Amino acid sequence: MKLSSTIAAVLAVLAGATIVTGCASTPSSSSSSASSSDKGPLSVWIRGNADSEKAYQDIFAAFTKKTGIKVTTFATLTDFETKVNAAAAGHTLPDVVVDDAAQLGAFRAEGVLQQVNRNSIAGGNDLTDLAWTSAKGSDGNYYAVPFSAQANILLVRTDWLNKTGDTKPTTWADLLNVAKSFTTGDPDGDGKADTYGVAVPGSTSRGYISWYWSTFLWEAGGDYFHAAGNGKYTETIDSPQAVTAARWFENLFCTDKVVQPGALNDVTTDSNKAFDTGVAGLYLTGPYAYATMDATSIDNKYTAIAPPAGPKNASTLAEGTDVYLMAGSKHTSAAQQLAEYMITPSAQKLGMTAVPSATIVRLSINRTVNTAAVHDNDPRWVLAQQVYQQQGHYEPDYMPNWPVFRQDTSNALNAMVANCADPTAALHALGAQFTTLLRQQGVLAG
Amino acid sequence: MGILIDEAPVTIAARPRTGRRRRQGWRARLSPWLFLAPALLAIGVFKFWPTVWGAYLSFFNVRPYLGNLWLGTANFTRALADPDLRSAVLHTGIDTVTALCLSMLIGFGLALLLEGPAQHLRFLRTAVFLPVVTAMVVVAELWGTLLFPGQYGSVNGLLGDVGLGPYPFLSSPHSALASVIAIQVWKSAPYDMLIFVAGLAGIDRELYEAAAIDGASAWQRLRTITLPGLRPITTIVLTLGVIRGLRVFTEIYVLTSGGPAGSTQTVITYAYSAGVQSNDLGYASAIATMLLVVTVVVTCLLRWWRNRVEAR
Repeated sequence: MKLSSTIAAVLAVLAGATIVTGCASTPSSSSSSASSSDKGPLSVWIRGNADSEKAYQDIFAAFTKKTGIKVTTFATLTDFETKVNAAAAGHTLPDVVVDDAAQLGAFRAEGVLQQVNRNSIAGGNDLTDLAWTSAKGSDGNYYAVPFSAQANILLVRTDWLNKTGDTKPTTWADLLNVAKSFTTGDPDGDGKADTYGVAVPGSTSRGYISWYWSTFLWEAGGDYFHAAGNGKYTETIDSPQAVTAARWFENLFCTDKVVQPGALNDVTTDSNKAFDTGVAGLYLTGPYAYATMDATSIDNKYTAIAPPAGPKNASTLAEGTDVYLMAGSKHTSAAQQLAEYMITPSAQKLGMTAVPSATIVRLSINRTVNTAAVHDNDPRWVLAQQVYQQQGHYEPDYMPNWPVFRQDTSNALNAMVANCADPTAALHALGAQFTTLLRQQGVLAG
Repeated sequence: MGILIDEAPVTIAARPRTGRRRRQGWRARLSPWLFLAPALLAIGVFKFWPTVWGAYLSFFNVRPYLGNLWLGTANFTRALADPDLRSAVLHTGIDTVTALCLSMLIGFGLALLLEGPAQHLRFLRTAVFLPVVTAMVVVAELWGTLLFPGQYGSVNGLLGDVGLGPYPFLSSPHSALASVIAIQVWKSAPYDMLIFVAGLAGIDRELYEAAAIDGASAWQRLRTITLPGLRPITTIVLTLGVIRGLRVFTEIYVLTSGGPAGSTQTVITYAYSAGVQSNDLGYASAIATMLLVVTVVVTCLLRWWRNRVEAR
């Protein structure tokens, strides 16, 4: 009797399943006529919001007009890489993915990328070597076509500088002095001690704190890894230079107390707010922040300057957006044509101007395009371009799984600063973790 | 159900009738399941299957495109030896027990105060209940703003007016977990209150009256009538609270992302970070599977305890 009710239940579920699968098996593969492979249509996934998608669609519309290849887009900021993973698991990857350069190593390790022959990309010679670095794997081969680039600059409240009588900082020592003035000198003149020097996104979420600290690491002459050749590496995260960078960073929080309160939980939206609402007066961030800040009450009250130099140099974090040609695509030739079109001067200019709120091309990676000129020679963009070209330094995106290194660095830095702990010990422990990770990822030298 | 079949007379003449009855019996048995089928199917596809699949993935190095690599129990041994996970488990334990006890106590207190049919009590109950119906993300964002660690924060502003603070709340590893727990209690205590109110309404009024006539004090009535009468309800509140505590995620993800210094890292935020931010889906699945096992065991223990208590 129990058996009969169980059978009934199973039958019912099966009946339901049949209905559902029946619904699902509508003809979906009828369009896969292999003969027209070069004419697409191309499916492109973009990590970006709706405004960005619109800007990309403008570029793709021009591409379709020129080549006749149709392009469909899907854009999201929410768990984008998870969605790519899901598509990879189902072997239904799009033809092209537009995402941060920081994903290169991870995508490559997952086997979802096609190798790119730099020399066979039409117009590839017009791209700067620095930009191509963001598309290079740890084996020296290329796995993407760079599309946009940027480097961090320092935003400074000019009205606060006038109030405290400080000058624009050019060294770490200057930066600290200005930060102290901003913290203690009541630059907003409200009679309360409610201002701070530096806005820092210090959360471990998405690795923000490590992303921010990288500039200091390079300025101190340090780096995450040492290339031992043959695509193998050793960690250098506990080098004396790295310790210098960590100690300097920690002192901002622990000794000098010039960072906005709650910074260790803040992501970039919070640190943006700290800067644009007058909580902190110095903000190391990307030039994309210009549009954000200009739309707030501090428009015309701040300026952008080159990041103050550290003990060794004035390198600053460079980042980029890459066009990835995905494995398993039936339209490889059309996908390459799209990538080639996206780096042309006309597409690059469209990317900067098509949708004002979404400058999907921050700095052009094409050396024949003058980004500053496109922005009416706004001196801030002139600066951003200069800083990127002369001082830009990318994160080691080429690692098989860079995000996990960045996450571990973030956890270590966040804990070190929160407890005002010894930087040498913190980085030494992180170094041991790095060695384990390098071994796990199969790229440990020796 | 099967009694229908057993009681059918076994004679040749009766056979057609038996067949019809049998068919009717089948139909009667099948129809509720058919009505349930869409829901069961949806739950199966979107809940049970992912759970099973997650448990399966926890034995692999997950590589969606290249194919997964079998690791055996390596992910589990790694999890057992992972000091960060151990501290996440500790935080989850502290969070679950503290938030559960506090919201039960406060919920019970509120229920005693606000139980009854009077109009103004209804109004008050609704007001107190509001945090429950507000989305956790909204609650977390609001509290994040209220608890801002500088003078801008409303709470610190008020404390500043009476000469206290400013306190770091969420931004210090020493107070972040306590702050997150307080926010959880603020949201879950009214929920517990509602269940207790329902429980209180189920207690026979005559018992109170009889006790009052016998001269029992308010405390004696609470101890000998109210508390025993609420026993089954308490188990439900406990079970829900434990499950809520073990899977705490949203408020922590929004407010602190597990920081500062990992002081609010819980099992789920840690699994999320491993799976989504570090691309280590196999390891994240192993952690999630272990959490599932623990949740099932704890829930079963609570059920067993309830049955024992109720059998008394």
